[in-house]
Amino acid sequence: MIDPAVGALLSGAFALLFLGAALHKWRDLAGFAEAFRAYGVLPAAWGWMARLLPVLELLVGAGLLAAATRALAATGGAVLLAVYAAAIAVNLSRGRRDLSCGCGGPNDKRPISTWMVWRNLALAALLAVTWLPWTARQMDAADALTVGAGTAVAAFLYLSLDALLGRTARQGARLRASS
Amino acid sequence: MTALAISNGVLWVLVLVLSAVVLALVRQVGVLHERIAPAGALMLNRGPRVGEPAPVMELVDLEGRTHRVGGEQADGRSILLLFVSPACPVCKSLLPAIKSSRKDERGWMDVILASDGDISEQREFVRAQGLEAIAYVVSAPLGMAYQVGRLPFAALVDEHGILRARGLVNSREHLESLFEAKRLGVASLQEYLSSAA
Repeated sequence: MIDPAVGALLSGAFALLFLGAALHKWRDLAGFAEAFRAYGVLPAAWGWMARLLPVLELLVGAGLLAAATRALAATGGAVLLAVYAAAIAVNLSRGRRDLSCGCGGPNDKRPISTWMVWRNLALAALLAVTWLPWTARQMDAADALTVGAGTAVAAFLYLSLDALLGRTARQGARLRASS
Repeated sequence: MTALAISNGVLWVLVLVLSAVVLALVRQVGVLHERIAPAGALMLNRGPRVGEPAPVMELVDLEGRTHRVGGEQADGRSILLLFVSPACPVCKSLLPAIKSSRKDERGWMDVILASDGDISEQREFVRAQGLEAIAYVVSAPLGMAYQVGRLPFAALVDEHGILRARGLVNSREHLESLFEAKRLGVASLQEYLSSAA
């Protein structure tokens, strides 16, 4: 059982994550299609999937915000995250450490790395928490604060962690390359 | 209960501000990394020596013009050779200083940018950084002759073909110190200090 405030906080934060991801891909569809092709996990004829992914992300993000569609959206979101993790893991095992991850906006040319696999799996697990039954209780103003401010803090911390992990990973790669 | 509620509200505000500050700091760290990344400790005492004639070389730039570096210069002008690379972030941050120094010192000095590697990448670099006005040569022998180990590296050759100053230039101050070296006629900071003593 989870408290509805915690559930709403999780849903809100993940809705933000998925809507943000969809927006990034939408702004640079051609770039994402290229990154998608470069992953090389699906045959070339499946290239249209690159257009479908932002739509799915949009649906997951929006679906998390409504009680009726939440469970379905959370399932879809967790599956998406796990699929991304698998795609990255497959390419890492092929030894392609210079592949652009395609996970940020048009300017994000970060190469894929191991921490991204773990990040996606951790996010998927966290999203799965919303499947637990929510206790029923009256929400009041304090809950609005918890959910609103909590979502904003989660977003800030996610961006910070993402930047920090990306940088340490890059430096590690540089050290390995130069030694 | 009211005290707890107020305390909770205040805490949320503080946590929110704190996480925003953390994000701002992380971004700042990123900026600092960009700036300091490839600067290394090194002054390599290899290659032509300051105060001695520089190697004489004929160089062809991207526009197909020929430049003669070293030896007596017919037009009586000095040449600043700047070794850069599209793959070097410090070089990019130094480019504005190079452009403005070139303008300030145009009375007595020409700037030649030197690099080596893939030509199309060099052309793209020149276009992206707006370097069309500056002579840009792509020549591995030139870098070899001056024993360039780290970038951005500069060498100042005077009108008589004498190497006046050379070294790693990471900032506008380093660049200016090359001109100062020629003006004062001293090869290095060490020589200046020992002559003053």
